Amino acid sequence: MFSSSKKVINTICPYCGVGCGIALQVEDDHVTGIEPLPQHPVSQGMLCAKGWSTAFALDPHDRIKTPLIKENGHFRPASWHEAYQLITESFLAIKQEYGPHALGLIACARATNEDCYAAQKFTRTTLGTHNIDHCARICHSPSVAGLRQTLGSGAMTNSIEDIEKADLLVIFGCDPTENHSVLGGRMIQAQQAGAKLLVVDPRKTRLAKLADLHLQLNLGTNIALINGLLNIIFSNGWEDKNFLEQRCENVDALRKKVAGYPPKRVAKITGVPVKKLQAAAKLYSEANRAFLAYGMGITQYTSGTNNVIAISNLTLVMGQIGRAGTGINPLRGQNNVQGACDMGALPDVFPGYQEALNPTNQDKFSQAWRCEIPQQKGLTSLGMTSEALNGRFQGMIIMGEDPVITDPDQNHVLRALKALDILVVVELVMTETAKLADIILPAAAFAEKDGTFTNCERRVQRVRAAIPPPGEAKTDWQILGELAKQLGYDGMQWPNAEAVFNELAQLNPLYMGMSYDKLEQDNGLQWPCNETNPTGTKLLHNNQFTRGKGRLIPVDHTDPAEMPDNDYPLYLTTTRLHYHYGCGSMTRKSPLLERETPNGVLFIHPDDAEKLHIHTGTPLRISSRRGEVETRAVLTDDLPVGTVAMPYHFKEAPSNQLTNTAQDPITKMPELKACAVKIEVVTAP
Amino acid sequence: MKSYQLSSLDTLFKQLATQHEMFEPQQLPGSSDLHWLPSQEGPADQYSSAKKRLPLAPAKGFLFAEREVLFHFDGKTFIKTVPKVKPQVLFGLQSCDLCAIAYQDQFFKGDSHYQTRRQATLLVGFDCLTPCDGGCCSTVDAGPFVRNGSADLILHPKGDEWLLISTSEQGDRLIQPLNLSSAPSHWLEQRHKGEAEVVKRFPSDQHIKSSIKKINQATITAEQWQQLGLQCLTCSGCTNLCPTCSCFTTFDQNIDGESAAFKRERCWDSCLYEAFQRESSGHNPSKEAGERLQRYWFHKFSDHYADEFNRYGCVGCGRCEQTCPGGIGIHSIMRRLENAS
Amino acid sequence: MKLSMTPQTVHLIDQYDDGENSRHYTFQLAQPTDEIIQPGQFFTLTLPNFGEAAFTYLTPPNNQDQFQALIRRAGSLTSELFNTQTGTLLGYRGPFGSGLWPIEMIKDKRVLFIAGGIGLPPLATAIATLLEQDSNIGLIYGSRNPAGQVLKLEREEWHKQMPIIETFDHASSSQLTGTPLDHLDTISQKLGGEPEAVLTCGPEVMMSAVGGYFAGKKLAEESIWLALERRMHCGIGLCGHCYFGSSYVCTDGPVYSWAEFIKQQNRC
Repeated sequence: MFSSSKKVINTICPYCGVGCGIALQVEDDHVTGIEPLPQHPVSQGMLCAKGWSTAFALDPHDRIKTPLIKENGHFRPASWHEAYQLITESFLAIKQEYGPHALGLIACARATNEDCYAAQKFTRTTLGTHNIDHCARICHSPSVAGLRQTLGSGAMTNSIEDIEKADLLVIFGCDPTENHSVLGGRMIQAQQAGAKLLVVDPRKTRLAKLADLHLQLNLGTNIALINGLLNIIFSNGWEDKNFLEQRCENVDALRKKVAGYPPKRVAKITGVPVKKLQAAAKLYSEANRAFLAYGMGITQYTSGTNNVIAISNLTLVMGQIGRAGTGINPLRGQNNVQGACDMGALPDVFPGYQEALNPTNQDKFSQAWRCEIPQQKGLTSLGMTSEALNGRFQGMIIMGEDPVITDPDQNHVLRALKALDILVVVELVMTETAKLADIILPAAAFAEKDGTFTNCERRVQRVRAAIPPPGEAKTDWQILGELAKQLGYDGMQWPNAEAVFNELAQLNPLYMGMSYDKLEQDNGLQWPCNETNPTGTKLLHNNQFTRGKGRLIPVDHTDPAEMPDNDYPLYLTTTRLHYHYGCGSMTRKSPLLERETPNGVLFIHPDDAEKLHIHTGTPLRISSRRGEVETRAVLTDDLPVGTVAMPYHFKEAPSNQLTNTAQDPITKMPELKACAVKIEVVTAP
Repeated sequence: MKSYQLSSLDTLFKQLATQHEMFEPQQLPGSSDLHWLPSQEGPADQYSSAKKRLPLAPAKGFLFAEREVLFHFDGKTFIKTVPKVKPQVLFGLQSCDLCAIAYQDQFFKGDSHYQTRRQATLLVGFDCLTPCDGGCCSTVDAGPFVRNGSADLILHPKGDEWLLISTSEQGDRLIQPLNLSSAPSHWLEQRHKGEAEVVKRFPSDQHIKSSIKKINQATITAEQWQQLGLQCLTCSGCTNLCPTCSCFTTFDQNIDGESAAFKRERCWDSCLYEAFQRESSGHNPSKEAGERLQRYWFHKFSDHYADEFNRYGCVGCGRCEQTCPGGIGIHSIMRRLENAS
Repeated sequence: MKLSMTPQTVHLIDQYDDGENSRHYTFQLAQPTDEIIQPGQFFTLTLPNFGEAAFTYLTPPNNQDQFQALIRRAGSLTSELFNTQTGTLLGYRGPFGSGLWPIEMIKDKRVLFIAGGIGLPPLATAIATLLEQDSNIGLIYGSRNPAGQVLKLEREEWHKQMPIIETFDHASSSQLTGTPLDHLDTISQKLGGEPEAVLTCGPEVMMSAVGGYFAGKKLAEESIWLALERRMHCGIGLCGHCYFGSSYVCTDGPVYSWAEFIKQQNRC
């Protein structure tokens, strides 16, 4: 008999929030290939280009394999002991001089729930502060804030399988075939099977081209558009009167508000003709079951939270929620951004969205964790960087995020990180952010550890170790547990990932009924999963909303913080490409994906291009009030005239040199979807 | 060709396992999906007709590796890398996949990496006694029964026993120690007649037949292809899972981070990617998704290739239908083409 | 034809600028070759860590195993080549291609070469071969502007032996402008009659225009020839990238007759 060096391991795709099942083919401890899983409830045998390229992302050649300490501007390998020692000394000194509030941690929406739970526990118990945040701040914090006000819970209300149960799909400010491709593909297939497709987007996305109706609205006019649709609905008496009466409150205030948005006014603000507005209102009203999905075209605005509330208003008025095939469905960006939020890697909540400053909750966690719970309100990620520039924030740990590339106003982030006394980065590879670190700790990648991810439909799924971590790399929860011990807290010594999960499930009411064994049985479980719902929950709000009645909240259109003017005459919006993910640190290792797109690109309408004498390939300088980047033009009439677009994946042309830090007042979400820029042709030297 | 009466699969499996690493479609714990996995214990209990299903990922990678090093460069010379392959048995192949291997044997006849793996591999095929979901092997002459010459050993269930057909010298040699008795003569005859009965149970394939005609007569317009191309998300799933797809790209990986030393790998590529044909000048002969989609199906169903390979490039496994997120796998697209006017 | 994907070593032994973003290279094979390279065939260069790309022979390996190529900077590999010092060791595979310039068939005819921009180098081996055989040949060479012209030294030599018309998209008043087809009468006069065979290489739109024009003039489809460029990763008909209809440019091309070109074009 031969013993084989080959095996196949079931796990979850590490890219977006859809949470497709994948199997990793392993040979001699290397991932050599990917298989889709036909019986997986989400992916059903499908994957996107990113998922298919996962083996490249796991290539060990550029991985960080030992702790690294920066000396005289250069990194040198160090032992774990030395690295921990240095961090401990530095953190204790900062704590002594400035207090715990000068320390903080950025968790990672790509890490496992176990890692995220450990990150927030470490921050709250060991650092002694609520200064913990992660990138949900810049994708869906307005969803959490907005839907908590209107429904009481900020996640996708329905399940992905509801796409096939709907007779109308409403795609609002998101580009699912590129960014959530398997989910987008299921939408195409649902349309082929007879469902109608309504797309609201400033760009002619793939789904917009396939749509039965496309409303190509101006950037940042979502609220005006929705109020306009509601105006038409109320004027025709199309609203779901029973649903409003039984399940909602505050309808009169909303009626009064949207009366101020007659179709003609709305057409003027949004650029969408009255006829199309009427057709859309009719389509949505006539739908038996309308599944509404939205993305960052809703959230990444200074009006982000209000945009989400407007979406909620529209859905509630038509009663398109609480039934199969309907719902408000925010599409989450990162593989585990839902889980990172569920785990309480946020400044204001403990695991399970339990308010961090609520005394009852504080008692509960104080007892469970056997430590004092900090009283001071925590800082968001932008709060931490701002405080760093003010000299009041000194020590930071960043777990696997690359804010230098992915956060708005790159120069602000760079200055802030450089102003810190100590920056510790826990990373797989040398990212732009890691280069700024004083100490880098090598982390294990998703294929090297056990744990769980939670996808956008609240499905908690098992991630399984397929290969050993390279060199001395460890999982985040191991690193933080060891560091906590050095810093004097020994409540984070877990034997394995399952032990972490068991602890967090006890403290998180949404996960209370889950265990690794149960997750194994049914390709995961959707929260809430507890004594009342032992097999999980596919559909939220079916009898009543989490907060009781659904609250309708009147909101007004506001312009983006920065609009085109004489100096900066074009609107810039940021987008994502099917082939790339985040800062590109994983996808750009695939020769196939890297070949597909140039290293940075500006999309521009042919009419705008003609005025500026630009052709596809013309080198350009794009500048805003905050910075400038150089890249090349690609002409496309997918964009409206007057709006240009840049993907944010490329360090060669970082769009976040340009973007605005103006924030949504409620969530501090920066306005990444709209700012004003000017464009010049770069002439050869 | 010799045929034998085999009373238990276990005997055959154990015999083959003495000299080979055994692989067969198996399930992972907690999942009902099939994967090609190493097998030590003996044949998995899945070869009775009712349970049989096709693994979504074909055995293609055992012969045409998804990634492999072609050569390395030490700074002075280029040194060819030869794959190290232990003798292996792919146990439980279905006819569609065997036809695909025969197709690739022909395509890669001059490719030493492929041939090294292929020569270390023994193929054991099973006749399919029922159509599988989405399969259309009979439409393209790739099943449901194993074609002679496509496997070393063919197994056909006969109640509790098996008809074992050896079609290669290697097969003969390996089963010789089992001292099997010859199969009753009517078994072969029954098998011969039996295939037609199974073929009758396949669903209608009219959409495929009429669309193959349309593809060859080039009656689908560029606009129609372009409209269908909107549904191609360029995931590469169809080409990765298609057991006959053979396109690859090459790329260099630095070995030590500093010197010129590097290794060149090849990996599976997909003709559906926009940049598959893009030249460094920017010129792209297949810029439009519709053109690339047309190319894919032309390659599968053109008579020009059929003349060269004595069969179509499609073996009717149906995997593209299962894996295509855009809903343009074989059945969906053939229905659309059939109705296109 | 060599089936191996592993290169042999070659040294870059000479280089000089020859036209905008273009350079004239000479390479020295490390191992002697007795392979005869036919006009139309091509080779690949490997730049360690930057991959491999296909180029046409400007001159085939001579008795000292040296050969030349004219290369324009376009992508990352050629950019790296432009930064490579003389003496550097590179990888070489070739020769590739079985679709060749039909020298035997046309050597006794009036032959017109039509080149566009960087399309001139692939015609050079055919020009040189026919000149050696004292064939009656002429060339129309179109470029965007004078700076875009390549093969300066070669053209100076050819000018002594054959009629050449050089035309530009943009040029000063002393120079010819227009497409190559605008200057057919002039070249026909110099050749002593209309061309009996046309060999063309350049942008695909230009070649289509040239082929279409002469096919319309009732020149036999077998007397019009063109060379295609495609992305390639193997050169041996396996990687699939250079498909053209049911053919592969690397093995069936790179030179196609107009008849074959039209047939394959209708297949894809």
